[in-house]
Amino acid sequence: MEQRLRLEAKALLEQGKVSCVIGFEVGSLRFTTTPLITGDRDATGRLVLNPFMANNLSVYLPGIKEKVAVVAKGCDSRSIVSLIQDNKVAREDLVIIGVPCSGIIDLAKVEGLVDKDRDEIDDITRHGDKVLITVNGDKREYPVREVLFDNCLACETPTPQEYDILLGEPTAAAGDESRKAGQEKIARLKAMAPDERWAFWRSEFERCLRCYACRNICPACFCERCFVEETEPTWVMPIPRWQDNLLFQVTRNLHVAGRCTDCGECERACPVAIPLRSLAREMYDIVSELFNYRAGTDKEAPPLLTCYEPTDVEDFIR
Amino acid sequence: MGQDSEWQPRILGFLCRWCSYAGADLAGTSRKKYPPSIRVIQVPCSGRVDPLFILKALRLGFDGVLVSGCHPGDCHYQTGNYFTRRRMAITKRFLEYMGIDPRRLQVSWVSAAEGAKFAELATEMTRELKELGPNRLFTGEEQANGTKTAP
Repeated sequence: MEQRLRLEAKALLEQGKVSCVIGFEVGSLRFTTTPLITGDRDATGRLVLNPFMANNLSVYLPGIKEKVAVVAKGCDSRSIVSLIQDNKVAREDLVIIGVPCSGIIDLAKVEGLVDKDRDEIDDITRHGDKVLITVNGDKREYPVREVLFDNCLACETPTPQEYDILLGEPTAAAGDESRKAGQEKIARLKAMAPDERWAFWRSEFERCLRCYACRNICPACFCERCFVEETEPTWVMPIPRWQDNLLFQVTRNLHVAGRCTDCGECERACPVAIPLRSLAREMYDIVSELFNYRAGTDKEAPPLLTCYEPTDVEDFIR
Repeated sequence: MGQDSEWQPRILGFLCRWCSYAGADLAGTSRKKYPPSIRVIQVPCSGRVDPLFILKALRLGFDGVLVSGCHPGDCHYQTGNYFTRRRMAITKRFLEYMGIDPRRLQVSWVSAAEGAKFAELATEMTRELKELGPNRLFTGEEQANGTKTAP
């Protein structure tokens, strides 16, 4: 599959169908990948596909001025469709190389499982439903469910629905049990009393540095000027106090409602490990429950908050 | 503002200039009584209200926020209030998930002829917020490092 990706990418560049390919190459740290953006046909040999390619590459697409090919997993392809819906990128400018995904491995979970730092782990390989972790020559096998990211466990669309080239066979969506595991953190939060929940979020946001990594990595956050940078009026004070941090994040989630595809990039990007996906996914579920709307599944549909139905929910209005 | 028998909630109202604002005006000119707890900001349409405004109001210490616009079908701009409806539905649910009492955000349709409804709404909301107590979500306590947080 990796070989086919390289050949396809090379052919696209050689035929002049695209001027640039966006994919993954091996990262500088072990068990990581890093985005590869290249117009050089020889560099396509560096493209890889592996269970560590966590990034959502659609974040590079808004504002592109040439034709590009982009590697997309299920969630990424939905982010791309969402950008098409918002007129941020034109479908005809893209060659989407779809990759059916069976989940991305969360290194933090692996570290917790074997109680070793990632540098002390010799190898991590995946075989179907099992993952083989080698530490000091000692091979241990675990169910893959224990090492995948939460959003992968709860994934509804592992196979891209919008693509030009599909590499490999479609993969099945997660089963109920896996989905439940992916939603466990959120279920725990919902079981709390409102005061407890507020106290929880408050303590989480006391850590926030307001580096805006979550916003910058989010493909749905494409505003050219964000409200947090407005100075007249200053909606959010730039000092990272928990009150403003929380206000920023809640508003951000409300602004990307109906665009978020639960790709989990915000939580991965967070340097202080705030469980941001527990916010994003809840918004995703609210939107799907109230409006039966799933972001990035229909490129012809108008974005959620730019349209309405006469029969929309109204029971909360007085 | 201390919490005693005299405590009055502070409500920030975002009222549509074409209907609810005129409705509030009518409540006044027809001498309907309602508590002085509501402060009004006129907006060109209830669709102007970004969820950010609501959070900012709560951040500043308002005890409740009211967003009020025209009844469905009566929007001066044809469809503005339908967008409000969608946006407020998700906002209310999401605030609840954060741990904010959803009664702190109220959404209503009040036409320019419904002065009495506006007065009733303001009275009701004030009563509910009195039950709920002051908004101490963002203020009050000392932080772990001992510094007081500014309101």
